[in-house]
Amino acid sequence: MKPKDKYFIIVGIIICLIIVVMTPFIASKNPDGLQKTTEQLNTNEESVIYKAPFVDYKIPLFGNGPYSVIAALIVGLLIVLGLGYLAAQIIKRKKPPESS
Amino acid sequence: MHIPDGFIPLWQCGIYYVITILALYFSLKWAKKNLDEKMVPLMAVLAAGIFAIMSLNVPFPMGSSGHMVGGALVAIIFCAPEAAVIIFTLVLLVQALLMGDGGVTTLGANILNMGIVTGLVGFYSFKTLRNPLGKIKSLFIASWLSIFLAAVMVVLELWFAGKFINLQLALLFLILQAISGIVEGILTVIIILALEKTRPDLLVWNKMKKNNKS
Repeated sequence: MKPKDKYFIIVGIIICLIIVVMTPFIASKNPDGLQKTTEQLNTNEESVIYKAPFVDYKIPLFGNGPYSVIAALIVGLLIVLGLGYLAAQIIKRKKPPESS
Repeated sequence: MHIPDGFIPLWQCGIYYVITILALYFSLKWAKKNLDEKMVPLMAVLAAGIFAIMSLNVPFPMGSSGHMVGGALVAIIFCAPEAAVIIFTLVLLVQALLMGDGGVTTLGANILNMGIVTGLVGFYSFKTLRNPLGKIKSLFIASWLSIFLAAVMVVLELWFAGKFINLQLALLFLILQAISGIVEGILTVIIILALEKTRPDLLVWNKMKKNNKS
């Protein structure tokens, strides 16, 4: 990897980390557009077949506070970053571009 | 815009999964042909950035909130809606399985709305509008349109599912998403301009221009 690409990844991760650390303090707690408009709708709760470990972006072990949200977001961020890198490495072009 | 479990009947979820798997198949074919080594870190950082920015809800009128999606941004950076399909499949998968943000049964529908529709609408409207309107205006309109049409898609899916039978609720949702589209447009313009200033080589349209010249 070229140094400028390494620099790009480092700067990208730092910006992402700043966003996730700020999120529990500055993000709006209001429901999003879909939640707001579907509050009164009847949904089939029984069809919920899976319960995520960090529901509502909180790690249960760390309680309900902002640090629990930050920890959950950092774990998620690192998983997405790792998966994104791994997936791109696997699916990228293996041969040089065809010249026409 | 994440649709939770229980909102769409399973057989309809199946249809959206099939559409998403087909889109993913074509996107992987695109990657095999076009995604070079240099784009690998860009794809990873963009996936992480989309995950981070989606957690940051900004307050909207009527006690609501919204966040950037970024499907148009990804598709425009890569000059390929396929890149948005790949990145959003990863991000939405982690959000659903780890955070419970968006359902597992509705994952196909969510990828269709936030990855496929936003990517396709964002990229092709930018491509169409860039010459007549210029870069900044076309970026803003394409990103706004990507969110609005994705919201229309959500309304249609929920209408087929028998949920959005109340026209007023559907209109309220579309109004809130139209506001969300403004945030999306502003942030997309800022991010693309920042990339153009710092790493213009990462914007695929610059690479295409260079190849055409040589």
